[in-house]
Amino acid sequence: MQGGSSGIGYGLKYQARCISDVKADTDHTSFITGTLSLREENEVHLIRLSSGGTELICEGLFSHPNEIWDLASCPFDQRIFSTVFSTGESYGAAIWQIPELYGQLNSPQLERIASLDAHVGKINCVLWWPSGRHDKLISIDDENLFLWALDCSKKAAQVQSKQSSGMLHYLSGGAWDPHDINAVATTCESSVQFWDLRTMKKTNAIEHAHIHNANYDMKTNHILVTAEDESGIHIWDTRKPKSPIQELPGHTHWTWAVTCNPEYDGLILSAGTDSTVNLWMAPTSVEDEAITESIAESPAQQADPLLNSYSDYEDSVYGLAWSSREPWIFASLSYDGRVVVESIKPFLSRK
Amino acid sequence: MVERENTRTDDVPLDDKAKRMRDLLSSFYNPDHSSAPKAPSNYENLDAIDSTSFDPDHYMNLLVQQSNLEGLLRRHVEMAAEIKNLDTDLQMLVYENYNKFISATDAIKWMKSNIVGMEANMEQLLDKIMSVQSRSDGVNTSLFEKREHIEKLHRTRNLLRKVQFIYDLPARLAKCIKSEAYADAVKFYIGAMPIFKAYGDSSFQDCKRASEEAVIILVKNLQGKLFSDSESIQARAEAAVLLKQLDFPVDSLQARLLEKLEQSLGDLQLKTVGIENILRESNDPSKQGKAFESIPNTGHEVSVHGFAEAIRAYRVIFPDSESQLIKLAQNLVIKHFEMIEQCVKRRISSANFLGALRTIWTDVLLMDEVLSEAALPDFSLEAGQVTVKKYVASTFTYLLQDISDALLKVNVSPKEAAEEHPLQVALEASKKTVLQGSMDLLLDFRQLLDDDLGLLVKLREFIADWVQEGFQDFFRALDDRFLILSGRKNSTSQDQGFSDGALGEKVLVGIVLVLAQLSVFIEQTAIPRISEEITASFSGGGAQGDENGHAFVSGEICQIFRSVSETLLHHYINMRTQRVSTLLRKRFTTPNWVKHKEPREVHMFVDLFVQELRAVQSEVKQILPEGLMRKHHRSDSNGSGNSSRSNALLDDKMSRSNTQKARSQLLETHLAKLFKQKVEIFTKVEYTQESVETTIVKLCLKSLQEFVRLKTFNRSGFQQIQLDVQFLRTILKENIEVEEAIDFLLDEVIVAASERCLDPVPLENPILEKLVQVKLAKSKERSK
Repeated sequence: MQGGSSGIGYGLKYQARCISDVKADTDHTSFITGTLSLREENEVHLIRLSSGGTELICEGLFSHPNEIWDLASCPFDQRIFSTVFSTGESYGAAIWQIPELYGQLNSPQLERIASLDAHVGKINCVLWWPSGRHDKLISIDDENLFLWALDCSKKAAQVQSKQSSGMLHYLSGGAWDPHDINAVATTCESSVQFWDLRTMKKTNAIEHAHIHNANYDMKTNHILVTAEDESGIHIWDTRKPKSPIQELPGHTHWTWAVTCNPEYDGLILSAGTDSTVNLWMAPTSVEDEAITESIAESPAQQADPLLNSYSDYEDSVYGLAWSSREPWIFASLSYDGRVVVESIKPFLSRK
Repeated sequence: MVERENTRTDDVPLDDKAKRMRDLLSSFYNPDHSSAPKAPSNYENLDAIDSTSFDPDHYMNLLVQQSNLEGLLRRHVEMAAEIKNLDTDLQMLVYENYNKFISATDAIKWMKSNIVGMEANMEQLLDKIMSVQSRSDGVNTSLFEKREHIEKLHRTRNLLRKVQFIYDLPARLAKCIKSEAYADAVKFYIGAMPIFKAYGDSSFQDCKRASEEAVIILVKNLQGKLFSDSESIQARAEAAVLLKQLDFPVDSLQARLLEKLEQSLGDLQLKTVGIENILRESNDPSKQGKAFESIPNTGHEVSVHGFAEAIRAYRVIFPDSESQLIKLAQNLVIKHFEMIEQCVKRRISSANFLGALRTIWTDVLLMDEVLSEAALPDFSLEAGQVTVKKYVASTFTYLLQDISDALLKVNVSPKEAAEEHPLQVALEASKKTVLQGSMDLLLDFRQLLDDDLGLLVKLREFIADWVQEGFQDFFRALDDRFLILSGRKNSTSQDQGFSDGALGEKVLVGIVLVLAQLSVFIEQTAIPRISEEITASFSGGGAQGDENGHAFVSGEICQIFRSVSETLLHHYINMRTQRVSTLLRKRFTTPNWVKHKEPREVHMFVDLFVQELRAVQSEVKQILPEGLMRKHHRSDSNGSGNSSRSNALLDDKMSRSNTQKARSQLLETHLAKLFKQKVEIFTKVEYTQESVETTIVKLCLKSLQEFVRLKTFNRSGFQQIQLDVQFLRTILKENIEVEEAIDFLLDEVIVAASERCLDPVPLENPILEKLVQVKLAKSKERSK
C-alpha cells in the first residue's frame, strides 16, 4: 500500500481513540493522547516530534483514572487539557493540568483542575474555543449542551448555561466555530444543529443523517465539514443548509473523523473504520461554488479530490489531529493504540 | 549656263548620252541645285564632268597622266562631238519655248474681246426676276381670306362633333356595358373626362350626370367581375386595370381581396387540421404511412392548389402586392410547421413525420411556382430545420421516457408481481427498451436521411449532426436520470415534472441495482452497437460539427456509464448496509448493556439482519450474473485451521483477561495479527452476485464490530453478543459463500465485545450450541 513507510510510529500500550494537537506548545510539535482500556490503568501520553522530525519522543506519561473517550488540549496553555472518561458504567469529564516538575517525579500525577460534573448521561466531548484564549468551555452529553466558565487560577469550573437538545435528539459530538465565539455546531443522529451561546438557542440545522463528526474550516468562514456513516464527507456552507457544497466519497466503511487543515485551504483529512486515513483536496471557498457545480455536471473531467490514502493501519482509525505548528504534519491514532505521524509535504506541491 | 556649256563641251561620255542629256535639261528647270554636289565621290571619275564642282585642271592633269596620246586624241574627238550635240539641243529648246509664248498671247487677246457686253445682259435678268415676285405676292393676298374662312368652318365642325360625342356618351356607355365592352367604355369616359371637368357644371350637366351613372354601373360590374372566381384571371386582371383607370380606390379592393385570400387560407388550415387529426388517429402501425399517401392526394392538395391559383391570380391582378402575398404564404408555411411541431410533441412515427413534411414540401413547391419571390423553399428550409431538430430532440425525450417507464413499472406495482422476479423483468424490459429503442430511433432517422424529399436532402448533414448530438445528450440525460432515479442526486434542481410522480416516494432499493446493471449493459453492449450504427450511417455531418463539439463520442459516454454503474452499485450497497446499520444502531443504543440479563436466546435483530440479507440475495440473484470463479474459496483444511486459530486466540485472550494478565494482551493480539495475514476486508466490488453479497455482509459485520466497540458490556451482554454472532455465523454459512474475511470479521466482533466487557466470561460451548440449535429449529419451523 502506498505511503506505508513514510509515517513515524509510536505505540501506546492499550487501545486508544483520541489524540489532540498541543496547540499552545509553540516550540515543539507535540500531541497528547490517552488510552481506552476498560480493565487496565489508563495513561495519557504527551508525545513530541523530535526536532529532526524523524522520531516520536514520549515527553510525559501520566496515569489517568479511567478509560479516555475524548481528549482535548487547551489552545492557550500547553499544560492543560480536558478528558471525557468512563468507568464502564458512568461517565465523567475533567480538566487536567500536567504537573510542572513532571520530569523529575517518578510517578507524576495529573492535577485535576476542575470536574465538569453536571452531566448525567453519556458525555461525548469537551470543546475549547479553537482560536485563542477564552475562558469558556463547552461539554456535550447525550442530551445537553453545557457552557462552563473555567477559572484556571481558582481551579474551578462553573456551569454558566445549559440547554437541552430536545426530545429524540441524542447528541453525539460538536464543533466550536473558530470564527465566531458564540457559535457551536452539535451533531446528532439526524442533523447538525447550530447554537448561539449567548441565548443558548438553536439558530439553524442541517438535516442529514448519521453524522459522526463535524469540523469547521479554520480559514474560511461558514464552512463546515461533516463525516457520515455511509455517504462519506460533506462540505457545507452553514448559510445554505439545504444541500452541501461538495461531497467526497469518504471511506469504504464509516468515515469516523474529519478535520480541516489549519493553514492550507481545502485540505481535509478523514479517518475511517476501514483502517485508512484519506487526504482530500476540496476547495471550499464560496466563490468556487460555480466550479464545483460544473464539476458535478461532468464527473469525468473532475480531478480526483483524493490526494492520498494512508492505509498502513491495522485497525480502525478514530483519532486524527493536524499539527497547528507545522500544518503539513498530522497525527493519526488507530484503535490498536498506534500513533502515526505523517507529513503531507509531498502532496502540497501538487497544489 | 555658259560655264556649263563649256564644261559640257569639254567632254561627254559616249555610253548613256541620252540619259545625261535629259538630266541636264531637266536641271535647268529645277531650281534646286542641291543635287549638284552629289558627285564629289566621283571626283576622279570621268563621268563627273557634269557636276558643278568639276575641276577642269585637275581633270586635265589626270587625263594626261592616265592616258596615252592615242587615248587623248580619242577623248578629244568624243568631247567635240558631245559639245556639238549639246549646242543643237539647246537651240531646239529655245525655239520651242518661243512658240508657246506666242500662242498664249494670242489667247489672252481673244478673251478680252469676248467679255465686253456681258454686264448688260445680267441687269436685264434681274429686272425680270423682280416682276415675277411681285405677281406672286398679289395672288397670295387675294386668296388669304377664303382660306381663313375654310379653316374656321373646319374647326367648328370638329367641335360640333365632340359635343355630339358627349351627348351620345351615356347611351354609348350603356351600349358598351350591355355588350360588356368595358374597356371601350372606360376609354370613352376617360376621353370625355377633361370636358366634364371644364364644363360639367354648366353646359353638360345632364350629360355628365347620365354618364356618371353609367360609369357607376360600369364600376359595379367591374367589381363584380373582379371578385367573381368564375371569371378568367385575365378578365379579372383587366377589370382591375380598368378600375384603376377609373380612379377607383383599388387599395381597398386589394385589401378586400387579400382578406378573401386569407379566409381561404384559414379554410385550408382547417382542412389540414382535419388531416392531422386523421394522422393522429392512424397512429396504429398498419395504417401508418398509408394514411399520408392517400390523404394529401385528395382534399388537401386540391385546396392548396386552389390557394396557389388564387395567389397567382392575385399577383396578376395586383402586381405590386408581393410583400403581402409573401407574408401570407410564409404564414401558411409557418402554420404548417407549427402543426407538425404540435404533432411532434405528441410523439409520431417517423413515417408520419415524413409524410407531414412531404405534404408541406409539395405545398411549398406549389406555391413557389406562383410566388418565387417569397423564397419559400429557403424559408421553409429554415422552419423545417427547426422542426426536424425538435423532432429529433423529442424522439430522444420519448426514448428517455420509455426507459424510465420501463424501470418505474417495478416501482409502481412491486407487490403484484412479487411472486415473479420484478427486478429481473424490469432489467430485461429496460435493456430491451434501451437497445431496441435506440435502434428504432436510428432506423427512423435513417428514413429521414434516405428520403429524397428536397427539404430533407438539404438538411441531411444537419440531421446527421443532430442525431449524433442527440445521442450524446441522450446518454448524458440518461445518466442524469439514473442518478435521479436512484436518489443519488437531488431531483429538485433538475428535470421538469417527471420527478414529482413516482419518485416522490422512497426509491425502491432494487431499482438502484437494476440501474447499475443496466448501466453496465449500456456501456458494454448498447453503446458499441449504437456507435457502430452511427458511424455506418450518420458519419456525414460536419456542417456545424466542430464548433459545438457535440459529436457522438462513444468513449466518453462509455466512461460516464462505467463510472455511473460503479456509483450506482456502491449506492446500492450503501443503501442496503444503511438499513442494517439502522437496525444495528437501534439494537445497540436501546438496552443498557452493562445491566444485561443472561442470554436466553438469539436476539431477534439477527433475524432481521438475515431477513435483509435474504432480500439482498433475491435482488442480486435476479439482476447480477453469478461469479465465474468463487474467490476466497478456502479449502477445508485451511479454513478450519484458520478458524480454530482465531478461536484459540479468542480463548486465550479471554482466559488471560480473566487472570488479569492483560497487560500483554494487546501485544499478543498484535503479534497474532502479524502472523495471521492481514485480511483485506474491503476488496473491489465486482458485478457478481457473490461479490455484492459478501461486500454487504462484510460492511454490516464491520458496522457491528464498530457498534460493539462503542459500548461497555457486562458478562451477560458479552455472552449475548457471543451467542448472536455464533448463530449468525451458522446462518451465513448456510446461505452464502463465507469467505475468510467474513469469518475474520465475526471473530473480530467477539474480540471487540470481549475487550469492551467488564467481565468477559464466554458462554460454554455446549450451551452456545444448544441455544443456536434451538434458534435454528425455531426459524426452520417458522419458515415452514
